[in-house]
Amino acid sequence: MLEVRNLHKVYPNGTVALTDVSFRVDDGEFLVVIGLSGSGKSTLLRCLNRLIEPSQGQILWDGVDVTAASGAELRRIRRHIGMVFQQFNLVKRSSVLTNVLAGRLGFANPWLSLLGVWPPSDRAMALRALERVGIRDKAEARADALSGGQQQRVGIARALMQEPKLILADEPVASLDPVLSHSILQYLEQLNKEEKITVICSLHFLDLVHRYATRVIALKDGKVVFTGLPQEIDKARFKAIYGEDAVEVRAGMTA
Amino acid sequence: MSVPRPLRTTLTALAVLALIAFAWNGSQVDFARLVNSLSKGWPLLQDFLTPDVLGREIQPVTLQLAVPVPCGSAAEAPPAASGPRLVPSVPCAAPRDKFTVEGFDLAPNTELQLRWRLPSGQYFPGPFITTDADGYFKAEFEARPIVATKDGVPGQIEVELQVEVGNLRPSPTLHIVLDNVVVTIFMALMATVAAVVVAAPLSFLAAQNVMKRGPVGTAIYYLTRTFFNVFRSYEAIVLATVFAFWVGFGPFAGVLALTIVTIASLGKLYSEAVEGIDPGPVEALTATGANRLQVVLFAIVPQIVPNFLSFTIYHWDINVRISTIIGYVGGGGIGYYLAQMINTSQNSKAGTAIWAIVIVVWVMDFLSAEVRKRYT
Amino acid sequence: MDTLPALASLLLPGLGQFLSGRRGRGLSVFGVLALMLALVWWATAPAAGFAETTIAFKGDPNLWWWLIAPALVWAWNVWDAARPGGAPGWLPLLVAGGMFAIFGWQTAEISPSTLLQNGDRVMLIIRPMLQPDFLQVRAEEREGWVELLVPCPAEAPAAPSNTSDGIALELSAGCAAVGQELTVTGAGLRPDTAAEFIWQSPIGDFFPLRDPADPQQFRLVQPEADGSLQAAFSVPNAIPPGIDPNLPQEQRLYVRQSRPLGGWELSTNGRFVLQGIYETLSVALMSTALGTLLAIPISFLAARNLMGANPVTLAIYVAMRTLLNIVRSIESLIIAIIFVVIVGLGPFAGMLAVTVHTVAALAKLFSELIEGIDPGPIEAMRAVGGDWLQIIRYGVVPQIVPPFTAFTIYRLEINVRASTIVGLVGGGGIGFFLIQWINLSDFRAVSASFIAILVIVIFMDQFSAQIRKRLQ
Ligand SMILES: Nc1ncnc2c1ncn2[C@@H]1O[C@H](COP(=O)(O)OP(=O)(O)OP(=O)(O)O)[C@@H](O)[C@H]1O
Ligand SMILES: [Mg+2]
Repeated sequence: MLEVRNLHKVYPNGTVALTDVSFRVDDGEFLVVIGLSGSGKSTLLRCLNRLIEPSQGQILWDGVDVTAASGAELRRIRRHIGMVFQQFNLVKRSSVLTNVLAGRLGFANPWLSLLGVWPPSDRAMALRALERVGIRDKAEARADALSGGQQQRVGIARALMQEPKLILADEPVASLDPVLSHSILQYLEQLNKEEKITVICSLHFLDLVHRYATRVIALKDGKVVFTGLPQEIDKARFKAIYGEDAVEVRAGMTA
Repeated sequence: MSVPRPLRTTLTALAVLALIAFAWNGSQVDFARLVNSLSKGWPLLQDFLTPDVLGREIQPVTLQLAVPVPCGSAAEAPPAASGPRLVPSVPCAAPRDKFTVEGFDLAPNTELQLRWRLPSGQYFPGPFITTDADGYFKAEFEARPIVATKDGVPGQIEVELQVEVGNLRPSPTLHIVLDNVVVTIFMALMATVAAVVVAAPLSFLAAQNVMKRGPVGTAIYYLTRTFFNVFRSYEAIVLATVFAFWVGFGPFAGVLALTIVTIASLGKLYSEAVEGIDPGPVEALTATGANRLQVVLFAIVPQIVPNFLSFTIYHWDINVRISTIIGYVGGGGIGYYLAQMINTSQNSKAGTAIWAIVIVVWVMDFLSAEVRKRYT
Repeated sequence: MDTLPALASLLLPGLGQFLSGRRGRGLSVFGVLALMLALVWWATAPAAGFAETTIAFKGDPNLWWWLIAPALVWAWNVWDAARPGGAPGWLPLLVAGGMFAIFGWQTAEISPSTLLQNGDRVMLIIRPMLQPDFLQVRAEEREGWVELLVPCPAEAPAAPSNTSDGIALELSAGCAAVGQELTVTGAGLRPDTAAEFIWQSPIGDFFPLRDPADPQQFRLVQPEADGSLQAAFSVPNAIPPGIDPNLPQEQRLYVRQSRPLGGWELSTNGRFVLQGIYETLSVALMSTALGTLLAIPISFLAARNLMGANPVTLAIYVAMRTLLNIVRSIESLIIAIIFVVIVGLGPFAGMLAVTVHTVAALAKLFSELIEGIDPGPIEAMRAVGGDWLQIIRYGVVPQIVPPFTAFTIYRLEINVRASTIVGLVGGGGIGFFLIQWINLSDFRAVSASFIAILVIVIFMDQFSAQIRKRLQ
């Protein structure tokens, strides 16, 4: 269980990105964070594994205070939290396999990993992860030789290497077309359902939210303006979250 | 590909290490020597960092001090209170008296000769002295009978100083360096223009799509290609050694060497531009019944002009760089001046030349970047 | 007619064009005119203080007539500003171009006629150039000699004889005057090979005797079947200028047999050429390796994204960049001159010079690469719980190593060329041998080193092209 209490974030340049954000995520949930561009979704997700330092507040994960951890302890926490990025964040010149193996860095022997030597068990695991996302045959290819959807699957495979209990996905499908969006989200859904991995995911398109979310949090100007089930987002709520002039756009092709 | 990756990496690393060991040996690396002789480089660097750019005109000034011998034979001169001056320990002396003379505020650390100017107008040499860091000296004199006052005119102690007068102005070195910079730039200009004039038509002879038709064309193609490839491999400065032997030391030798290398290098680039053109327009014009020359003029030339221009500017930039140093072996331009100054250890003047080179290279870099941005 | 721009351009060339929107043209007009006026000013200004300048025409008052050219362009510029469509551009280009060409011709002392006038020198070069001095026919050499006095002293010495290398020689007299006929008798020679006669002057110079019948040919004498030889020759005038010709001096006659053994071997100069190649490649490789090693840490200091955070590091960044830019514009040849003074002649000086230039050039390129790296992988490595070293190893290194390597290889190619030319000022390698051979006018050796340079450069071009293709 993840609990966020009174989280505040003010960037050094004075931008207030999060104000008093509190919520709870139970194990096995597929929580989707929505909100306008600039509402603080990325900031929130990155605060959860402290890629960004929160200014105030507390994050408790299974009773461990993430906000108080530092150094090695923080890395130990992070290695159990997978993260998937909008821009994939792959090393484009490295092979797919190397990119996936890098997900194991938190567990690996630090010296051997510096030499690029990985135990056979990790290699096997990486191949299994690639198998799982359906691109086992691309293991030796360079990451930039893959299409966008395939690259995001490499990103998911990298997260899988951490055997995570929680996956943070920051707009994992924003750089992809609608068909690919569904396939990527289906992988996340599968992990969520079969492995009971908690998923916290920010999304832009409401139809995707309806299709995949078990629960929704909406942010506006860094404040939580809605928490609840996806079905509860009606016209009025929609306007409250996205502003008066907004029209709903769909990713399309509900699978 | 059958070699496993870690092994391949190790082997490559070992090979590189072995090569470097060879290179270490072949380039006679000796860092101890470098460290030990760095002190030699320091004054050199200081000279380079204080280039000779400004100076004042130098005028000889004579300081005089009348010493009546014997006392009362002529008017005593009260010594000056400030400025460069000579001050005797006694205002006048009897013959064979010994006294000292001090000098104040002269040029520091300089060797000077003192002398007597006799009443007859003749000179009588005195001691050599060296001033200290404050421009002070002290010297012993003896009032010899020969310096005795004659007809009321006393003998005088004199010292001749080189005094800087007037305002700071560009030093002669700066003038010469400026002249040589102009020569250098014109060397680059003439070589580039000549090379463009020759290379532009030649490049068509080295373009596959133009020439590889029939045995004669193919032969010419390979001939021109080879010429380009061979002469592109030489630095102009290497060829300049031979041209200097042929036409004598001077800018012309450098221009010739630069021209040859630029023809080869530009010719290659141009011919690649010609090979990279879109064949569409050529086909279209040929279809309209235009002749070969018309096809070249109306279908090929418009396509290659931007590339030609950009390559030319690029090479003009390189040629300016090289013409600054080509004089070092071929004569002519700032490089030759630099060589002369280095060989005669006039390091401040050499420093002026080096700074001039840096500035010329900078300005040309900047200008050619601007021009290329604008026109290509 | 646009009066206002025309007036503006009359006052300041290019201003009218600039104001009416044709900015590029205005700037160009102004620049060209400024250059033309500066050129006239420079040409008419008298030579500096003392006449050390080599430019013959400087200071000639007649050169003021050249002001006509900028005046024409000035007038054209007014016309151009006045005419709505602009005036034809080739007019000023022709005038300015012509002026620059004429001044350039004079200043660069271009005189194609010297090429022809000194044609005889080319002949001196070409023949030896076609026979590069690299390999020679392998041969077994034997050499005997006998010594005599020229001219005769008051008391004539006995007829000399001497045996060396198995060749016994005897002269008909122990001394002789220049031009006097003598007979040499030899034994122990190889019957199958003709013998050359070589004379050694009192100061140790060697020169072959010529055939009296045909002075174009060297003297060759065929020994008898039993290895003996008898030949007459006249004593050559080998007394060097400046030495008293009446003073008896020791001179020698060498009789040399050279029997080809078949096959080839390196000549002496050939060995120097090989040494030069070795040194040049070493200098190139060593300076690239060392330069890369030094450039990497420096490039981090010169990368804005790493150094821009606070004023102190920003100052370091600015200082680094400026220093790199200055050093980069000093050719390695000039740096080599300095190092030759410091550490003495030899490849080490050349290596240091090329290294310094390499550091400056590579550090700039590297720092630009670092500025352009993708922060995404770094974030991802942090998210998976990697420590600092792992983040560098997996997030940064894979991004920069391939382009670093490509630049380094490219630099190696440049450095091979640079290390041939630093030799010209004493930095070792083939260039050093080349300039010495040029000074000795040994064009057979010059030719060999030219070929060596060609081979090195083409080899390196191919090598680096291959490697870069693999790195893609
Ligand atoms: N490094 C930073 N420094 C200063 N301000 C920042 C920084 N990163 C984000 N912000 C600001 O914080 C606010 C929230 O940004 P955040 O990236 O979390 O929004 P988001 O909801 O993810 O938007 P998007 O949908 O466009 O990704 C924005 O106003 C943004 O400008
Ligand atoms: Mg975002």
